[in-house]
Amino acid sequence: MIPPELDLFAAIFGVFVTIFIYSFLWKENPLSRAVEHLFIGLAAVFTLAFMYDAALTQAFWGTERIAEGNFIWVIPILISLMYFFFFSKKYFFLYRYPVSIVAGIMAGMMITGMIQSNFIAQIESTVTLPLVGTGVWEGWPLPGLDSIIIIIGVITALSFFFFTWEHKGALGISTRIGRYFLMATFGAAYGGTVMARMSLFIGRLRFLYETSYADWFWAWYLVPIAVLCVIIVAVWQRSRPTPPESEIPPKKQKSKD
Amino acid sequence: MALEKITHLDRRYIYILLFFFVSIPLLAPLKLPIPISEHTYGVYDTTNAMSAGDVAVCSFDFGPATIPENRPQAAAWIFHARELGLRIVALAFWAGGGPIGEDVLRDVYGSDFPNIPEYGTEVVYLGYIPGNEVGMQTFGDNTQSAKGTDHYGTPIGDLPLMQEVTSAEQVDLWAEWTSGTPGEQQVIQFVQGRHGGPSALPIVVGSTAVSVPGMMPFYAAGQIVGILNGLAGAGEYEKLMSNDYDYPFEQGPGLDAQSVAHVLVILFVAVGNIGYAIRRYSGGES
Repeated sequence: MIPPELDLFAAIFGVFVTIFIYSFLWKENPLSRAVEHLFIGLAAVFTLAFMYDAALTQAFWGTERIAEGNFIWVIPILISLMYFFFFSKKYFFLYRYPVSIVAGIMAGMMITGMIQSNFIAQIESTVTLPLVGTGVWEGWPLPGLDSIIIIIGVITALSFFFFTWEHKGALGISTRIGRYFLMATFGAAYGGTVMARMSLFIGRLRFLYETSYADWFWAWYLVPIAVLCVIIVAVWQRSRPTPPESEIPPKKQKSKD
Repeated sequence: MALEKITHLDRRYIYILLFFFVSIPLLAPLKLPIPISEHTYGVYDTTNAMSAGDVAVCSFDFGPATIPENRPQAAAWIFHARELGLRIVALAFWAGGGPIGEDVLRDVYGSDFPNIPEYGTEVVYLGYIPGNEVGMQTFGDNTQSAKGTDHYGTPIGDLPLMQEVTSAEQVDLWAEWTSGTPGEQQVIQFVQGRHGGPSALPIVVGSTAVSVPGMMPFYAAGQIVGILNGLAGAGEYEKLMSNDYDYPFEQGPGLDAQSVAHVLVILFVAVGNIGYAIRRYSGGES
């Protein structure tokens, strides 16, 4: 959380960073690159610091931890420290042990979790779709029609990924219908993506238009200054003499091996 | 032909048009009607059906990038839960969600949070729980094994609410605010699936709009009982809250802007495809 006394600084910084990063849409430039690198650096440090703190909290403090004599927590700490053998050529093989343990745990967890929630529960809900009964074919949209569309969609989309026989005849018709269902799914995903991206853009615009500080500062006051900075950098970049071709180091050719 | 040329239009004109069309409703709200979707009612009705004193987990599994979508969803829902007297165990399985969650709770409970009388009995904030899916499963099985202290360093065992909530068995509702992994699917797999299924632990989700189509099979199967779909879902929930309580409806201009932007995108897609079709069928390159 930002302390109230730093609100003004946060607003000013936010305006410049927002405009600089959006200037990428016009053309990649030093300011947009600088902000991009800043974001990557901050995100990496933030995650590292949070993880470090959380790991210490997890292992040392609180109830039933090392601090209270429960030394079993020493084992995962030692295993996790083995990750650092990644940097040693001689002992690199030790790095593989924590990786194998994590991969094994995750595989075991995923298999049991996914079979129940993504497989059995989904099949169960498909085979129990209402086709007959009270109210199934009444009103609009018809619940029964929804059920039929879902059943056709599931069967035909599954047939699209059936590669034992050539997609001809009845199987060909089924896979073609399945492809349309898959396309509709991709369309829905694309629509969702557009909606999400617009929301983020709207969020940034609202920040620029609505952020204020102590009745005398509005964030949008700084927008022209930030835009001017982008223009100055762009003009400076354009006015720089381009090095003669002979001075540009040749690009490395990729090996064909 | 003009429509053919449009397929070669510099994309920067589209950005400029979008900027103006999105800005207008933000500066002069159009106050378009906001119908409430079935999925939003799912969240609202499920939360309303809870009794005072029931325990709800509120998980902030998103980062700064999706604050415009996830944050208003979470804030409106926490307000609702507090008004209904639900007891909230707030936490985050994303490192980035840790400070955001605290910020949202301060919005709802006041800037003194966690120094409020109800902290520890009505609401707790555990902060970031590491381990992704493993952390989630551990929390579901034994809350005290997942995290030794709350976000402020108080041992979990000292918090009266956490003395009661020892596993997901004591949780009546899980509210998941997510924009990726771990998110709602991991809660379904590693918590709901291990602790009685959808009937014992209903899940409501507030998600970024990108992820919602992928959630629909889980919604249809009843594993998720309600979804707030991006900014629109947040606006719809705020609308419901403003009807029932004294809650500010702040997303109106944002929803107007989104509607206008979507109309513009639909027009771009239509015009671009018409131009493409003309070029293709008039013998040009495809």
